[in-house]
Amino acid sequence: MNVEILRVENLHKCFGTLEVLKGINFIADKGEVITVIGSSGSGKSTLLRCLNHLEQADEGKILCNVRIGMVFQNFNLFPHKSVLENLIEAPIVVKKIPKGKVVKFAEELLKKVGLMDKRDVYPCQLSGGQKQRVAIARALAMEPDIMLFDEPTSALDPQLTSEVLQVIKQLAEEDMTMIIVTHEMGFAREVSDRVIYMDQGIIVEEGSPQELLVNPKNPNLRAFLSMDNKN
Amino acid sequence: MDFEYLGSIIGFILQGTGITLKVYFITIIFAIPLGILFALGKLSSFPPLKWILGAYTWVFRGTPLLLQLFFAYFGLPVFGIEFQPLTAAYVTFVLNYAAYFTEIFRGGIQSIEKGQYEASKALGMSYVQTMRRIILPQAIKRILPPMGNEAINLIKDTALCAALSIPEILRNAKVTVSRDFNVDAYLIAAAIYLLFTFVIIRVFRKLEKHYSYYDN
Repeated sequence: MNVEILRVENLHKCFGTLEVLKGINFIADKGEVITVIGSSGSGKSTLLRCLNHLEQADEGKILCNVRIGMVFQNFNLFPHKSVLENLIEAPIVVKKIPKGKVVKFAEELLKKVGLMDKRDVYPCQLSGGQKQRVAIARALAMEPDIMLFDEPTSALDPQLTSEVLQVIKQLAEEDMTMIIVTHEMGFAREVSDRVIYMDQGIIVEEGSPQELLVNPKNPNLRAFLSMDNKN
Repeated sequence: MDFEYLGSIIGFILQGTGITLKVYFITIIFAIPLGILFALGKLSSFPPLKWILGAYTWVFRGTPLLLQLFFAYFGLPVFGIEFQPLTAAYVTFVLNYAAYFTEIFRGGIQSIEKGQYEASKALGMSYVQTMRRIILPQAIKRILPPMGNEAINLIKDTALCAALSIPEILRNAKVTVSRDFNVDAYLIAAAIYLLFTFVIIRVFRKLEKHYSYYDN
């Protein structure tokens, strides 16, 4: 049984005269892991940023009444706050949850991402992979129903990438609904229930990882994937 | 140097420190919050407000503080607004320094990465929460060096109050010099200003150290 959690209808977005999204339609079900792939400039990040209103769509509808969390390519941790303070900030000031309760939950999340020992350090003392894991924990601290990941490993060295992907995989196993923009094709194949291929502002093809990544029909997608193999 | 003479005049000059410090702290206390508010106004997307604040900072940074003092005291009565000399000084100093603080805060706020706003918004924080808890605390760390400069300038600028015969440090020194035909009073005044700037420098060094717990 599929429970719809997010519906996007005919989404359009322009930056000046450049039309970045040209009518996007898709539905996400509860617990589904969707990866969005496509070359730079295809509109993947813009789509994600429209979903949680970091960008205002020009046209179309986003139907969603659950809380959305987001993880950014550049982490965007609060540098003046410790790891724990990064996690508890929003639950305290936005949700007005008592501090004692938030701290307990935040510590559980830190254990989950394997960073309990970094509880009281500042972001500048963390590696990129650790920063991104803190950013994931910070988003989870708001107890979102959907998590958006905007190229979460693009700013990381290959050896740091896997520790972040590991955390995302763990979330997938816990049935977190996720929409992930990524260039990690191996990861996409492994983790997603559905893959969306975007090109020039439209969804060109979507389907299971098997259909899209192993037997792609669209010639552009085939070219895109073969380019990735060469890298 | 005649120490007996210095001892006989130092008390009178020191009496001026009370007013100097009053002008100093009233300016700091009012001009900093005003500077923050005006900076946020300048960064808002409301053109009339930006235009008005742009004109305000231009006028107050673009004309001599001494001229502004004269205008507040001698010029405003023409328009039916009369101030005591000290009140004229308070008003002028607060508005003048708020103009500088506006530009310093504007620069500090603009130097914070866009990602900080996006992360705050993605976490559901409001504009006020984002500014108060995320952006301004980081901006303050970055603007400490220029604020330190202004804090030192201000203690020296208070001497302009002498032009309105307000009995602050320089005015009392000048009165002493004219009375005794002896410039030692100026040396005492200079020593007092140096002492104050020494304290200000130390305070800012402490502040910078306090904020050095993180890098960005």
